[in-house]
Amino acid sequence: MSPLFLLLPILIPVIGGFLLIPLKPKTSRVRNIYSECVVVLTSILVWVAIFTLDRESVELYSFTRGFSIDFMLDGAGMLFAGMVSLMWPLVMLYAFDYMENTGRKNVFFAFYIMTYGITLGIAFASNMTTMYTFFEMLTLVTIPLVSYYESRESRYAGRKYAAFCIGGASLGFFAVIMTTLYGKGGNFILGGSLIEGFDPVLMQLAFLFGFFGFGVKAAVVPLHDWLPTASVAPTPVTALLHAVAVVNSGVFAIVRLTYYTFGTEFLDHSPAGDLALYVSIFSLLFSAWMALGEGHFKRRLAYSTVSNLSYMLMGLMLMSSAGLEAGLLHMLFHGIIKMSLFLCAGAFMHVTGKEYVKDTVGVGRKMPVTFAFYTMGGISLTGVPLFCGFVSKWKLLSAAFERGDIGGYAGILALLISALLCAIYTLGISMRAFFAPKGEDLYERSDIKEAHALMQIPIIVFGIINVVLGIYPAPILKFVEKIVVGLI
Amino acid sequence: MSLILLIIIIPILTAPVAYLIGRKEESRPEYLATGVCTLILAAVIALAIRRPQAALCLIPRTFFSFDPSKLHLLYGLITAFMWFATAIFSREYFAKEREHLGRYWMFMLITLSATEGVMLSADFMTAFVFFEILSFTSFTWVIHEETGEAVRAAYTYLFIAVFGGMVLFAGLALLQHAAGTLSFAKLPSAIAACSHPGYVMAAGICILFGFGAKAGMFPLHVWLPMAHPVAPSPASALLSGILTKVGIYGILMAVRYVLCDSEEFAILIFVLALITMATGALLALFSVNLKRTLACSSMSQIGFILSGIAMMEFFGSAGETKKVEAAFAGVALHMINHSMIKLVLFMAAGVVVMRLGALRLDEIRGWGRNKKALKLAFGLGALGISGVPLFGGYVSKTLLHEAITEGSHVLPGVAALLKTGEWVFIVSGGLTFAYMLKLFICLFCESNSDAQKQESFNKDASCMNNCSAAVILFTALLMPLLGQPPIAGFLAGICGDPGVRVAYGSIFSLESLLGGGLSLLIGAGVYLLIVRKLLIKDGSYVTLRQALGRADKESAAAKMFAGFFKGAGTVLSEAVKLIAYGLDAPVDLLKYFLSAEQNKNDRHTPVYGLFSATLTSSRDEAHPISEGFSFALMMTCIGILIILFVLVFTVL
Repeated sequence: MSPLFLLLPILIPVIGGFLLIPLKPKTSRVRNIYSECVVVLTSILVWVAIFTLDRESVELYSFTRGFSIDFMLDGAGMLFAGMVSLMWPLVMLYAFDYMENTGRKNVFFAFYIMTYGITLGIAFASNMTTMYTFFEMLTLVTIPLVSYYESRESRYAGRKYAAFCIGGASLGFFAVIMTTLYGKGGNFILGGSLIEGFDPVLMQLAFLFGFFGFGVKAAVVPLHDWLPTASVAPTPVTALLHAVAVVNSGVFAIVRLTYYTFGTEFLDHSPAGDLALYVSIFSLLFSAWMALGEGHFKRRLAYSTVSNLSYMLMGLMLMSSAGLEAGLLHMLFHGIIKMSLFLCAGAFMHVTGKEYVKDTVGVGRKMPVTFAFYTMGGISLTGVPLFCGFVSKWKLLSAAFERGDIGGYAGILALLISALLCAIYTLGISMRAFFAPKGEDLYERSDIKEAHALMQIPIIVFGIINVVLGIYPAPILKFVEKIVVGLI
Repeated sequence: MSLILLIIIIPILTAPVAYLIGRKEESRPEYLATGVCTLILAAVIALAIRRPQAALCLIPRTFFSFDPSKLHLLYGLITAFMWFATAIFSREYFAKEREHLGRYWMFMLITLSATEGVMLSADFMTAFVFFEILSFTSFTWVIHEETGEAVRAAYTYLFIAVFGGMVLFAGLALLQHAAGTLSFAKLPSAIAACSHPGYVMAAGICILFGFGAKAGMFPLHVWLPMAHPVAPSPASALLSGILTKVGIYGILMAVRYVLCDSEEFAILIFVLALITMATGALLALFSVNLKRTLACSSMSQIGFILSGIAMMEFFGSAGETKKVEAAFAGVALHMINHSMIKLVLFMAAGVVVMRLGALRLDEIRGWGRNKKALKLAFGLGALGISGVPLFGGYVSKTLLHEAITEGSHVLPGVAALLKTGEWVFIVSGGLTFAYMLKLFICLFCESNSDAQKQESFNKDASCMNNCSAAVILFTALLMPLLGQPPIAGFLAGICGDPGVRVAYGSIFSLESLLGGGLSLLIGAGVYLLIVRKLLIKDGSYVTLRQALGRADKESAAAKMFAGFFKGAGTVLSEAVKLIAYGLDAPVDLLKYFLSAEQNKNDRHTPVYGLFSATLTSSRDEAHPISEGFSFALMMTCIGILIILFVLVFTVL
């Protein structure tokens, strides 16, 4: 099959989503079925592509010498696209019920579905220019979702999001140009595609620009502030986009930048690489502390996302194949865990209408399933064995030990401290929810029930994946090992 | 082989069933749970009879392997027995308080499999996996009563459990990296071939602290005196008797297989052991709560066991393999003794709680005067733990003591430390006798200061039903048995080197008897001089604080610890906030100078903007960044300018 096939999963959701606006389905039933169909079709196409396509790239359009729109499907892309394609249909189910009582649903679902296509575009991009293009489009297409509620706060969040992401992308643009000029057209080749004849200092500068530019979406600390603010968005958006799709696009872009364009040979133990490593380490500690002090449920989880994204960046910045493996694994596993946590938080907010941690006292007795899965997510995120978070943390620690210099040890220390903080900020909520001292139970007389079944299904599915991959991670580990050595 | 699988899987599978049964008001999940515990006990006994030698891998290429032999098997058996005993006792204990019973039994059963998993494990990874499970499941025991005190204790417990787990995690990752394996069998040769001794040392220390957190070793002991008393008594017995041993088990494995010849490591363990031993004993002496005294006593006994482990390490560093095994016999025996003793004592305390609902010594004083069975059981337990000759504790303490005295001959370099250690050992042993005497006399000999109360105590001679009595007395009667050298020698032979002999001659030699006697003498002296004179005021038991005339406060150590963490937390989070909002400062400044539109309406100076951002709590209101797309455009422009600049320079 021609790699042109990759255009299908990109275009179908973009067009299909856009059509929702002129078509204006009359009932929400029609709209839901239509949306789910588009999304499921796209996911099927993604999986067909994963199983059938060879690794070759196709040029779609060339702007000028070297700058062109190319697509390909390689291992890292498969991992990212596969992950996203499993999550989107499930979270759509959740969104149907969550968004039931809000207005302008057509617009919401239109942009929600279009985002899917754009995200796949990032996964399938085969050079810097293409990835950059989709990266910018991702920002634009998600702004309406962030400020969907049109309240003062959400408009503010939308503006802030736009400012950070567009500004960041403009920083990244420098890296795009430099790699396209001095690499093989900025093509992604494992091990780096730079060719001789560049000024190393300038190139390191370019890497830093790229790291921070694309790092805006990965919420690396000085540029992280949009993410907690953006948690005013509806939960399907915060769960899928701000815990997985958008933020992992940032991480994925840095994977491409570090391992597939600049190459670890050039960056390993270079000042730029070290700086990026230390920034990530600082970032993961800093945001874990912020999460600890945060009283808003979703904002706390958002800080936790910042922290975990920095785990991935730290793994990547170790500049070794073990680091890449750990980073990719944590990208996948954190996606699963955080999705499950956000969905639980969303169910709580949807059912009770409250959004602060202090309001969770005793709610576990009324919503035992939701909070049981929340607890499992929290334990997994802390890195307890038999849950998938443990596997990636084990890999991260091993990679850090393998590096074996001061940066690696600092990373290990930071990882442990933040794991401890993570236990406190996630499990503290479970403790409140399940073990309310007598007299402090806020929900003793209220008659709230578990959320609607459609909302429960994704929570349960992600919870089960969480455990299954924790007990039997072998297939995923094998797949990622293959990616790291460049077999796929 | 499938027997092990059975032991691990069955309780986990039945746990949810027990929970579901327990949800209904009048249902009785305890029958199911007791049945499962009996089954597991039978399975472990079958395992012991068949004695399979080879290690087993449950799932190929993942990290589960088990080794049912020696100490692993014996502790598997003790675990099963303790669960069985507490399950039977729980039936009566929870007869009235039936709240959250389903939850209790569910986590009880999961913890049973996890504990068996740790005890039977053949590599560190398996041990770690099950260790983490039991950390989290036993947490529900601590919080079971859901009182404010229980919640506080549970927080502390969880905090330290997670911390221990993480440190252990790092240690194992490091060990895996340094040695390439975590299997007990392969570790010694892998470490001998390892080129980074520093890594192994660091891994050993991490493992020590990780497991030490569960054992209640000194700097991480804070949770122990808080958590054990608030849990329901059967659970306290398990927490004290088995879960602390899980920690000891891990440290023992680290000493046997990871770092077996490092003197520095031995000194570290020894010093921590002495502090744990002495602190625990002192805390127990000054406590006025029955279960708290027992909990502190557990901590102190853990110190005794750790000192034996340290001696193993000392002998290992001197290359004395025979003496390592001798010290190991002491360690193993003291572990077994302590498990059994704490089982008896906590169940006896449970009887008191069950009948009186009180634990303060003043309130329970004189209650047991006419309860013969309880008196016998508690007395045997007390004799066992105090190290009175012919009882279990005496044999193991003598072996440990012998190891320390021999150590000071073999290792002249640390003789001074060992000599000090010996004295701490003897004095702590004395304190053990003193606080057990205090408890026993208070509960079974004296009369209550409230005569009316004493009368009602006297009228009611019943204290427990036959089932509970049978279990408690059976366990109590093990004490004198464990004190017989042939039996002790047999157990030591099972655990370690079969060549180790525990002979009448050495155990009851004049020297050993003198050591034990000195200890008991000190204990009696402490009881007469300190407890009777200082800690009993106007006929009621008082804490040290009250005795010295200070206001009664919560445990000072816990307070200090909490205060430290709170203080550090506040300082750090404020610092973090300052950084967080301070990061906006450059942006604010930039905006102030660059954006003319903003300046017109902005009456604040940039410095004010910085402070208002930093100090205002409601961030969304005060947050000045990005008042529009102008800002985004500005950022874009700066980016493009930089790029142009760079391009011009490189091209020219």
